[in-house]
Amino acid sequence: MKRGEFSFVWLFAIIAGGAILFLAVYGAFKFGETQRYESDTGVAKTLATLTDPMQAGFAEGSYGKISFKQETRIRNICFGEGLGRNDISVSMESGVGNKWGEFGGAISVRNKYIFSSEISQGKEFYVFSKPFEFPYKTSDMIFLIEGGYCFTSPPREISEEIALLRIPNIRIDNCSEGDVVVCFGPGRNCDVNIYGSCVENCKSVYDEGTVEKKGQTMKYAGNLIYGAIFSEKEIYDCNVRRLLQRTGKIAEVLSEKADLMNARGCNTNLQADINVWRGLTGNATADEIISLNQIAKNLNRRNVEQCSLW
Amino acid sequence: MFAMVGKFAQMKIQQMAFMILAVFLFFVLVGLFFLSIELRSIRQEAAVLNEEAAVSSLQVISDMAEFNYDSGEPLTLDEDKLRVLATISGYDSFWGVSSIRVYKIYPANEIVRCPAQGCNYYEIYNDGQKNVKEYSTFVSICRKVREFSYVYDRCEIGKISVGVKING
Repeated sequence: MKRGEFSFVWLFAIIAGGAILFLAVYGAFKFGETQRYESDTGVAKTLATLTDPMQAGFAEGSYGKISFKQETRIRNICFGEGLGRNDISVSMESGVGNKWGEFGGAISVRNKYIFSSEISQGKEFYVFSKPFEFPYKTSDMIFLIEGGYCFTSPPREISEEIALLRIPNIRIDNCSEGDVVVCFGPGRNCDVNIYGSCVENCKSVYDEGTVEKKGQTMKYAGNLIYGAIFSEKEIYDCNVRRLLQRTGKIAEVLSEKADLMNARGCNTNLQADINVWRGLTGNATADEIISLNQIAKNLNRRNVEQCSLW
Repeated sequence: MFAMVGKFAQMKIQQMAFMILAVFLFFVLVGLFFLSIELRSIRQEAAVLNEEAAVSSLQVISDMAEFNYDSGEPLTLDEDKLRVLATISGYDSFWGVSSIRVYKIYPANEIVRCPAQGCNYYEIYNDGQKNVKEYSTFVSICRKVREFSYVYDRCEIGKISVGVKING
């Protein structure tokens, strides 16, 4: 009699207790995952806001450092449709459960141009910015880098720029082990090769040219050289397309502005050219950047000081 | 005899089932309590992050090529560009805020929306959100003017205001 009662009650208690325990453990696990997702999304949002002061404004460039307490992965996905966007998401290393969980929610950044690898991993990230002027200022480009870089035989202009920004993980001609070696011109043991092709109205031959990296070629002009060095081709091409789209959109504003200025007797003589420029940049790609740079230089020369359009 | 034992066992099972149900409900209630606290903190964190983003966007938007005057001064807007931006389309969600408005604040006249004669208010963007908190800062609004064959910058004092959606 007692044996039957004991076994049935205990069997029931074990099954029900097991189910409750399972639900509790599953709930706690899911709760932990949600907490992690929330925290990673918050970090991505903070990261997007932190890059605001990185927009150089009217300065020639600015630099900052972002440190995390634990190893962190930052994912940057670029979308090129229309004015495009960069989607930034973060995943932080965890001591509980999976070392790397899923990335948190993506924060869309539409008015910034973030050049980086698709996934950057580290505890410390360096962020610096340079303006994109084509020929008027379109926006600031933000470069997110981790790990060391070593520039060998760069032109004086680039050495001075890097020295001014004081970015500790970019070294000039003084390479450390593990650095990504960036050679200006051909060289041995180079991870990245830069070939300058500027021949007219240039500060240096490297004002425009091509960057070769991992068997891929990226054309650049002006400060885009940093984008080509520090980001993957896919992100570089997408961001350049976005920048050119924006350049075309600003040309639309400038064309109307020229109209208003002309009506006030301040003739810019640039409206027709700026309309052509708008058409050229609106759907251009990174491969056309060098030919467009020549037209941009001509436009800049024609933007006279009195009644200047930009 | 067997019937009594059966009833007793049934009673025990019922007791056990009620106990388990009570314990389960207790944990569910505790879970809900923690979840509501957690949700409140998420909302507060999101509001703080949005506020930070809005405050810093004031400077970012003012210094954008679409707005800024070519004097090289921060927080200086180009009146001609404002006039164009108030009528142009295609930027939509690009600005990252719910609304952008620019006012001339001196002389303090009645607000007249541009484009119109003697206007002093530019509505650059408005996505029509209802729950919006506005942040603003003072700016210079300038344009190039030619008078007696002399070109100079005519600047007025104004205010740029950006609206950010409030959750909840």
